[in-house]
Amino acid sequence: MSSLPTVPGVDANLLQKLRNEHSIEQQLWLSGYLYGLATSKQEVAASETTQLPGQKVLILFGSHTGNSKKVAHTAAKHLHEAGLHTTVADVAEYAVKNLKSETHLLVVVSTQGEGEPPASAEDFYQWLLGPRAPKFENLQFSVCALGDKSYVQFCQTGKDIDNRLEALGAKRLFDRVDCDAEYETEAESWINQVAAVLQAQHPKTTSAYVKAPETSTVSTSKYDRKHPFEAMVWEKIQLNGRGSEKETWHLEFSLEGSGLEYAPGDSLGVFAQNDTALVEEVLKSARLNGSEKVDWDGKSLQLFDLLEQKFELSVLTRDLLVKYQERHPKSSVNGLIEDPTALKNYLWGNDVADFFADFPANLEPQQLTELLRPLPPRLYSIASSPRASEREVHLTVAAVRYEHKGRKRRGVASTYLADRLEKGGSVPVFVEHNDFFKLPANDATDIIMVGPGTGVAPFRAFVAERAERGASGKNWLFFGNPHFSTDFLYQTEWLQHLKNGALDRLDVAFSRDQEHKIYVQDRLKERSKPIFERLENGAYFYVCGDKNRMAADVQKALLGIVATESGRGEAYAADYLKTLKKQRRFLEDVY
Amino acid sequence: MENKQPNRSEVEIIKDKSQYLRGTLVQSLDNGITGALYPDDTQLIKFHGAYQQTDRDLDSERKTQKLEPLYSLMIRIRVPGGVATSKQWLRMDDLADRYGSGTLKLTTRQAFQLHGVSKRNLKSAIKGFNEVLLDSIAGCGDVNRNVMCSVNPQESRVHAAVQKVSEDLSRAFTPQTTAYAEIWLGGKPLHKDEPDEEPIYGKTYLPRKFKIALAVPPQNDTDIYANDIGLVAVEKNGELQGFNVFAGGGLGMTFGMPDTFPRLADPLGYVATSEILNICEAIITTQRDHGDRENRKFSRLKYTIERLGVEAFKAEVEKRAGLDFQDLHAFHFENTGDRYGWSVGYNGLYHLGLFIESGRVADANGYLLRTALREVAQVHNGEFRLTGNQNLVLSNIAPEKKAEIENILEQYGVLDKTFKQTALRQHSLACVALNTCTLAFAEAERYLPTLLDHVEVLLRKYGLETEPINIRMTGCPNGCARPYLAEIGLIGRGPGRYNLYLGAAHNGERLNKLYQEQLDETGILNTLDALFADFSKKRLVDEHFGDFVIRNGYVKATEQGRYFHD
Ligand code: SRM
Ligand SMILES: Cc1cc2nc3c(=O)[nH]c(=O)nc-3n(C[C@H](O)[C@H](O)[C@H](O)COP(=O)(O)OP(=O)(O)OC[C@H]3O[C@@H](n4cnc5c(N)ncnc54)[C@H](O)[C@@H]3O)c2cc1C
Ligand SMILES: Cc1cc2nc3c(=O)[nH]c(=O)nc-3n(C[C@H](O)[C@H](O)[C@H](O)COP(=O)(O)O)c2cc1C
Ligand code: SF4
Repeated sequence: MSSLPTVPGVDANLLQKLRNEHSIEQQLWLSGYLYGLATSKQEVAASETTQLPGQKVLILFGSHTGNSKKVAHTAAKHLHEAGLHTTVADVAEYAVKNLKSETHLLVVVSTQGEGEPPASAEDFYQWLLGPRAPKFENLQFSVCALGDKSYVQFCQTGKDIDNRLEALGAKRLFDRVDCDAEYETEAESWINQVAAVLQAQHPKTTSAYVKAPETSTVSTSKYDRKHPFEAMVWEKIQLNGRGSEKETWHLEFSLEGSGLEYAPGDSLGVFAQNDTALVEEVLKSARLNGSEKVDWDGKSLQLFDLLEQKFELSVLTRDLLVKYQERHPKSSVNGLIEDPTALKNYLWGNDVADFFADFPANLEPQQLTELLRPLPPRLYSIASSPRASEREVHLTVAAVRYEHKGRKRRGVASTYLADRLEKGGSVPVFVEHNDFFKLPANDATDIIMVGPGTGVAPFRAFVAERAERGASGKNWLFFGNPHFSTDFLYQTEWLQHLKNGALDRLDVAFSRDQEHKIYVQDRLKERSKPIFERLENGAYFYVCGDKNRMAADVQKALLGIVATESGRGEAYAADYLKTLKKQRRFLEDVY
Repeated sequence: MENKQPNRSEVEIIKDKSQYLRGTLVQSLDNGITGALYPDDTQLIKFHGAYQQTDRDLDSERKTQKLEPLYSLMIRIRVPGGVATSKQWLRMDDLADRYGSGTLKLTTRQAFQLHGVSKRNLKSAIKGFNEVLLDSIAGCGDVNRNVMCSVNPQESRVHAAVQKVSEDLSRAFTPQTTAYAEIWLGGKPLHKDEPDEEPIYGKTYLPRKFKIALAVPPQNDTDIYANDIGLVAVEKNGELQGFNVFAGGGLGMTFGMPDTFPRLADPLGYVATSEILNICEAIITTQRDHGDRENRKFSRLKYTIERLGVEAFKAEVEKRAGLDFQDLHAFHFENTGDRYGWSVGYNGLYHLGLFIESGRVADANGYLLRTALREVAQVHNGEFRLTGNQNLVLSNIAPEKKAEIENILEQYGVLDKTFKQTALRQHSLACVALNTCTLAFAEAERYLPTLLDHVEVLLRKYGLETEPINIRMTGCPNGCARPYLAEIGLIGRGPGRYNLYLGAAHNGERLNKLYQEQLDETGILNTLDALFADFSKKRLVDEHFGDFVIRNGYVKATEQGRYFHD
C-alpha cells in the first residue's frame, strides 16, 4: 500500500497527514471509528460508503464475558490481513437500521442464561426475531456461536440468529459453527474458512478494521487457557462457622513468576481432576476395568488415568446422549433428547456413571472416550484486588455436594479445591478476562453491588481495589446467605471497610434467621429510594452469583424500584434498565 | 452529690446521658451487620438484665474464618426468693430451646439465666418470659439485683412471711424507668412532657451493683454476709418480728490489687419488719450519694463503709431513715448448704430438695435432667424453688402427686444424682466461667465435676465421703460462686491454674485465706491429699474442715475483709 486510494471528494492531504501522524494501530482504529460514526449517526454518510458495494465485511459480536468479542476481533484482524475491508462492532452499539445496506455480515455471539442472548445483544436479538426485521436479499452471512455443551440450550442464540437471517432471505456464505466451552480451535477454523470463502468472492482491496480501545489488562504472560500456570495454594480457609449447612472455601494462590495479570471482575479458570471414586463408578457402569490402554492425543494411556484427568464425568451433557444415540439408534435415549423438560431433569444431578447404568452399552475403551467430553476448566470469580494482594489471586468457592440415588456426589472442581488440594499443593490455572464486568473507569462513580453467597467474591476484589485506589465513589454492598452467625462471608473485612469508609453501606439478608425468608431482593426493595437516587446519579449496578433465581429476582426488584421511585411506571422502568444495560452500568456475572 | 465528682467513670457518663437506660439500644438491635451492640449499649443492656458475651471456645477459630466473635446475650431473669411456678419453669425451658443454647442455668442468686441468645432474638425471649410474669430488669446493672431468700418452706409460717418481704423489697427497688417496657415489650415511647423518673435511684442509678439477701436461721443458705444488705429474720412465737440488719458485704477482688478484697457485711442492728423497706432505702440512698463514682473497682458499698467507717455510715442511715437501730437479737447459723430429699411442711405438703450440679439444667452426656424436670413441671402444681446454691426444691407437692413425681425423677436418674453423691459434691458450687463468661481466666462449671471425681478418690481413701465440706470454684477472683466463703476455695488464675483458699467457716461467718497459688490439677490433688490425711487423723469431734485448717496452722483466720491478703 504505497499510494493512497483516491476517493472522490476526500482531501488527499488530510489523509496523508492522518497516515503520517498515526501508528498503524491508530489508523485502523480511526478508520473504524469514523466508520462507526458514519454508520450509526448519519444515513447520508452511510449511503456514501455504500458506494463501494461488496467490498466490506461487517462483524457484529454479542458477548457477555468477552469471548465472542475476542473471536470477532481475531476474525477482523485475519480478514484485514487477507485484504478484506472489515468493520467490527459490538452489537449493542450498532444501529440496526443500517443492516439492510450491508452485504457481508459475520455474527459472533454467545448464549447466556438458559439459552438467552447476552444482555448486550438483547435488543438486536429481539429486533431481528421480531416482526419489524426487514428482508435481507443482498446479505450474505455466517454465524459463529459460542456456548457450552453442559447447557441444554447449547448455542441457542447463535442458532436463532442463524435461522432467522436465513428466513429473512439472507444467504449463508458459510455454515454456522457451534463452539463448546473450549471455543478457540473451532472458532479459529470458522475464521479461516469464512476468510477463504470471502477471499474467493472478492479480489484484494483496501481494507480496514476497527479495534476498539482495549478495556481489559492485556496479559503479557505466557500462560493462558491452553498453557495453564501451576499455581500454589498458600492459604485455605473454611469461611462458614460451625454448624453451617454451607461449605465455602477461601483460597489464596500465588501467581509469583507467572506474569499473569488480572483486574477485579476477571475470573480464574481452574483445571481439576475427577475423584477416583467417581472414575471407578463410571468404569463399573461401563463394564470396563480401567487398566486398558487408550490412544489419546497421540499417546497411549491407561483408561483410568484418562478418565481421572481428561474427561468430564460429574456432569452429563446433551451431546453425550446424542453421540450415544447415533451409536444406538434403537435406544430409548432418543425420547429423552426430544423432550426438553425430561432432558433437563435428567441432566441435573445425573453423572456419566448414572447414564451408563441407565443406558447400558458394550463399549470398547476407545469408544468410551470418544463419547465423553473433555473436562473443561471451571471458572471462579477472582476475589482479590491485584493492588491489595500483589501477585496473589483469591477465590471464594462453594463446595458442591449432594446425594443422588443413594450415592454421595461431589462437584469435580469445587471439591477438588475443598477436599483434595492441600495448602502447599498446586493446581493449573489461567486468567479468564471479563471485559465488561469491571469497575467504572471513573473512580468518583458510585457502585451498588448485589452479591449473595459466593456472588460476593468479585465485590471483595472491587472494594479492596477501590480502597487501594482511594476511589471517592461510594460502594454499597448487598449480601445474603442462610444464617448471620455462620454464613456472613468475609464479615470482619466488611466491618473493617465500613469503618474505614471503603464501604459506604452494607445491607444483609439472612434468609433463614427468621420465620419468613428474606433475600437480597427484599433488602433492595427496602432501600428503594437511595438506590434510585444513586442510579440517577450515575451509579453502576452489579449482580453476581446464582443465575437461576437470584439474578431474575434482583432484576425484578430493580424494575420495581425504578417504576416506583421515578413515578413513571413499568414501561419506563423497562426502558431504564435497558439503557443501563446498554451503557454497561447494569452488569451481571451470574452462574 | 451524684454528678459532682469531676472524674466520673465512663459508665457514669453513659448512664447519665442514657435517658434512663435507653441509650441507642434500639439502633443496636437494628444493626444487622454485627451481633454486637454499640459499646455504650453493652453497659446499658445490663440494667435490662442481659450481658453481651461471645462463645470464647470459638473466638480464635472464627477470627481466622473472617467472622466476628460469636456474640450472644446472656439474660438473667429475676426470681425473688427463687420461687417460680411450674408454668414459669416450662416457659423458661421452652425459651432455652427456642432462643438460647438449650440449657437453663440456676444461679447462685436464685435466678434463671439463658445463655446464647442472639441479638435478633432478644426481644422475643424477653416477651416470652414476660408473658409468664417474669422479668429481667435489674437482673444486672448498678441497681438492686435479684433479692435472695432462704429456701426452706417446710420450716414454718415465718418463711412465708420472709419470702413476702423479699418480694416487697424486690418490687420497691425495681427501676421505675419505662425504657424496659418500651424497648422490649412494645410499650409506648416516652412522651416529652412526661419524662421518666427514678425516685430512689436518680438518673445515674447506683455507683455499682447492689445485693440484698434474707435468711431464716439456722440456715444461711443465702450467704447473707456476702451481700450489700444481709437481713436475718427474727421470730417470736412463730411470727416474724423483724430483722438483724447487716451491710457492706461483697466478694469480688482483683489479683495484684491488695486494696481490693472480699468483705463480710457488718452488723448495724435490729429493725422491725414494718421499717425494713425504709431502712433498706436509707442504706441504698446513702450508697447512692456516697459511693465512689470514679473508680468502679471501689464503688461497692463495702468500700464506702470502709471509707466512712461503720459508725458514721450507720448514723447517716439512721438519719435518713428517721429511726435508730436496736441491738441485734441473738441468732445462730449452722450452715450455708441446702437440704436434699423429702420433707413434710407445716401445711402437710411435701418438699423435695434436688442437687443440680453447678445449677446447669441440661440434657447432656446421657443425663436427661432437663427432660425430667420438664415432665415434672407438667404434673407438679406446687413451686420450683431455686436455691442460693444453684439447686432446686420442688415445693408444696400434694401427697397424691408424690409418687408420680418421684417416679419421673427416679426414671431419669435425678434422685441418684442427688443422693448417691459424696457430701463434698453435694456442697459444691461452681460459677459459669468458660465458655461464656467474658471475665473468666480458667474453667469452673465445666471442670469442677471432673476434678471432684478425682477428689472423691481421696475422700474414700480417708473415709470422708459423708463429711460436709464446702468446696467452691470460680474462673476468676470476682467470686460469683462465693469461693471466699468456701472451706475449700479454688479460684482460677489462668488456664488450668488455681489458687487454693482454706479456712472459711462452714456457716458462712468467716472468710477463707490463700493457702497455695497457681496449682494445676496434680498440685490441687496432692495438696488436698495431705490435708485430708491430716484432717482424718487429727480432727476434733464435729470439727469442720474450715476450722481444722486454722487450728492446725495451715492458714491464719481472716477476721476482717481488709486483712484478707495478710
Ligand atoms: C451466674 C452467676 C454465677 C453462677 O454460676 O451462678 C454470675 C455470673 C457472672 N457474674 Fe457474678 N455471678 C453470680 C453471682 C455472683 C456473686 C454471688 C452472690 O451475689 O451471692 C458474686 C459475689 C458477691 C458480690 O457481688 O461481691 C458475684 C460477683 C461478681 C463480680 C465482682 C463484683 C465485685 O464487686 O467485685 C463480677 C464482675 C463485676 O461486677 O465487675 C461479676 C460478673 C459476672 C458476670 C456477669 C461476668 C461479666 O460481668 O461479664 C458473670 C456471667 C457469667 C455467665 O456467662 O453467666 N460477678 N457474682 C451468678 C448470678 C447471680 C444472679 O442471679 O444475679
Ligand atoms: C463466570 C463464573 C464465575 C463463577 N464464580 C464462582 C465463584 O466465585 N465461586 C463458586 O463457588 N463458583 C463459581 N462459579 C461456578 C463454578 O464455575 C462451578 O460451576 C461450580 O464450582 C461447580 O463446579 P464443580 O466442578 O464443582 O461441579 P460439577 O462437577 O460441575 O457439578 C455440577 C453439577 O452437579 C449437579 N448438581 C449440583 N448440585 C446439585 C443438587 N443439589 N442436586 C442435584 N444435582 C446437583 C448438576 O448436574 C450440576 O450441573 C462461577 C461460574 C462462572 C461461569
Ligand atoms: C451464566 C451462564 C449461562 C450460560 N448459558 C449458556 C447456555 O444456555 N447455552 C450455551 O450454549 N452456553 C451457555 N453459557 C456458556 C457461554 O456461552 C460461554 O461461556 C461463552 O464462551 C461465553 O462467551 P462470551 O464471553 O462472548 O459471552 C453460559 C455461560 C454462563 C456464564
Ligand atoms: S467468678 Fe469470674 S469467671 Fe466465674 S462467672 Fe464470675 S466473673 Fe465469670
